Amino acid sequence: MPFMNGSRRWGLLPWVLPALLVLAWCAASAWHLVPAYLLPSPRRIVASAYGYIFGAPGEAPYAGRFLGDLRASLWRVLLGFGLAVLLGLPMGLLSGRTAVFQKIVGNTIHAARAVPGIAWLPLALVWFGIGLPATVFLVSLAAFFPIYLNTAGGARQIDPLLYQSGAMMGIGRLRGVFAILIPAAMPQIVTGLRLGLGIAWAYLVLGELTGVPDGLGAIIMDARMLGRIDMIMVGIIVIAVMGRLSDDLLQVLLKLAFKSARRMA
Amino acid sequence: MIPKNDARLKLIAPPAAPAAAPALEVVRLGKYFTLAGRDAWVLQELEFTIQPGELVCLLGPSGCGKSTLLKIIAGFLPPSSGRVCVHGRPVTRPGADRGVVFQEDALFPWLTVAENIGLGLKTRLSGRNLRREVDRFVEMVGLGPYRRYLPRQLSGGMKQRVALARVLILKPQVLLMDEPFGALDAQTREGMQQLLLGLWQDLGHTILFVTHDIAEAIMLADRILVLDRHPARVARTVAVRLPRPRKTESDVFHHFYKQLRSELVP
Repeated sequence: MPFMNGSRRWGLLPWVLPALLVLAWCAASAWHLVPAYLLPSPRRIVASAYGYIFGAPGEAPYAGRFLGDLRASLWRVLLGFGLAVLLGLPMGLLSGRTAVFQKIVGNTIHAARAVPGIAWLPLALVWFGIGLPATVFLVSLAAFFPIYLNTAGGARQIDPLLYQSGAMMGIGRLRGVFAILIPAAMPQIVTGLRLGLGIAWAYLVLGELTGVPDGLGAIIMDARMLGRIDMIMVGIIVIAVMGRLSDDLLQVLLKLAFKSARRMA
Repeated sequence: MIPKNDARLKLIAPPAAPAAAPALEVVRLGKYFTLAGRDAWVLQELEFTIQPGELVCLLGPSGCGKSTLLKIIAGFLPPSSGRVCVHGRPVTRPGADRGVVFQEDALFPWLTVAENIGLGLKTRLSGRNLRREVDRFVEMVGLGPYRRYLPRQLSGGMKQRVALARVLILKPQVLLMDEPFGALDAQTREGMQQLLLGLWQDLGHTILFVTHDIAEAIMLADRILVLDRHPARVARTVAVRLPRPRKTESDVFHHFYKQLRSELVP
């Protein structure tokens, strides 16, 4: 269900749970149920977030760094996700439609998929050092699997009647890829892209935990070492919001670009 | 653009088949499938021809191989033996010269009625010409008000109208119909039969219509090919010399129906 449509139909319902969580948090800190060094009060978080986003640089340790961190992280996510799409989509379509390709790569891909992303981290550091390439490598590696698997599944399950219809209407193989294959697999492709983008954000943080100077993940790691629990939470909330927004944006863009995403998802 | 009937084009066109070539020719056609290590012949020594402009019904019980035969003619399946020729040219793969209307809904669910109908024509026409031609065929099957609807918003009968229009618009030399009205209710089916007959009389296509419904075959056909099963072969040919329009409730129709039925269902 499209986000816009959903919010209109359900009113404030999607916001009840977040509001309750914040309320419980307020109560917990007001009555000192949890020590502040474990869970700072919401007011403290808001103040830290405000300084992080709107403060003048140099005013306080994290003041005004938000835009720079966001830009660095967005860039890494986009590069990693884009790479994963460029590889995962064509390979998924190919292995969904040609048994030979599926037999050649399927085994290896499923084995690689079983390796958790963290296991790649040391290797990525050795290969690429600390910085953009290592992060992009981790992000694209993680995002590749859901994109590839869902696209392949979608391409495999296409009703053969659609192909026969295309063939008897004179639609050749190449045109069929764009006129039939991709639109018919679109619901699964959308699922794959959304899962891939979500995982891209998760692995962004992993990639930035390695000691890059900027980025939303770097802030979290940095704040841990300085004992700034409030900034860790700010980082977590920012990533949650960015992940949610980018998911909506992805769906809107797909719907703008593809009839099949508009009409079938 | 040079018009199709330009004399200059004739010189480089492939040599046309002799004028007497039938629209569709099925010669000693055989097809077997290998099931559990054994070859099961579905079709054997099947032979018939259809003249241009003829409407022929293939009548046979369910599971007798009618659909297999149609798939071979359409080029979706290779025959095990024999051959199929359309206007003298052997069939090797699917092509727009043989339009197929499937039994089930085979429309593209992400395209509107008009887009479904225009999809195959996109390579031949564009812009205003394409739109005009699509409009003509949308109207021809009576779907004018529904041109922007998606398949899932249509009834079964309307879907089959779209399925018919999207192949007719390609001007196929042979129209292959695989029990296209089998899933419709009786009333809708009659309407579709009348629509098909009207279009056939206007456009003059050659039609091979597969059905298991004796009344439908009598209603539509110039000729009925009755198929045997295991393996399928043409058991007999029945010419339907009833004047059109035919009415199911008329005495001659009823008489013909009773006679054919008594011969087919012992």
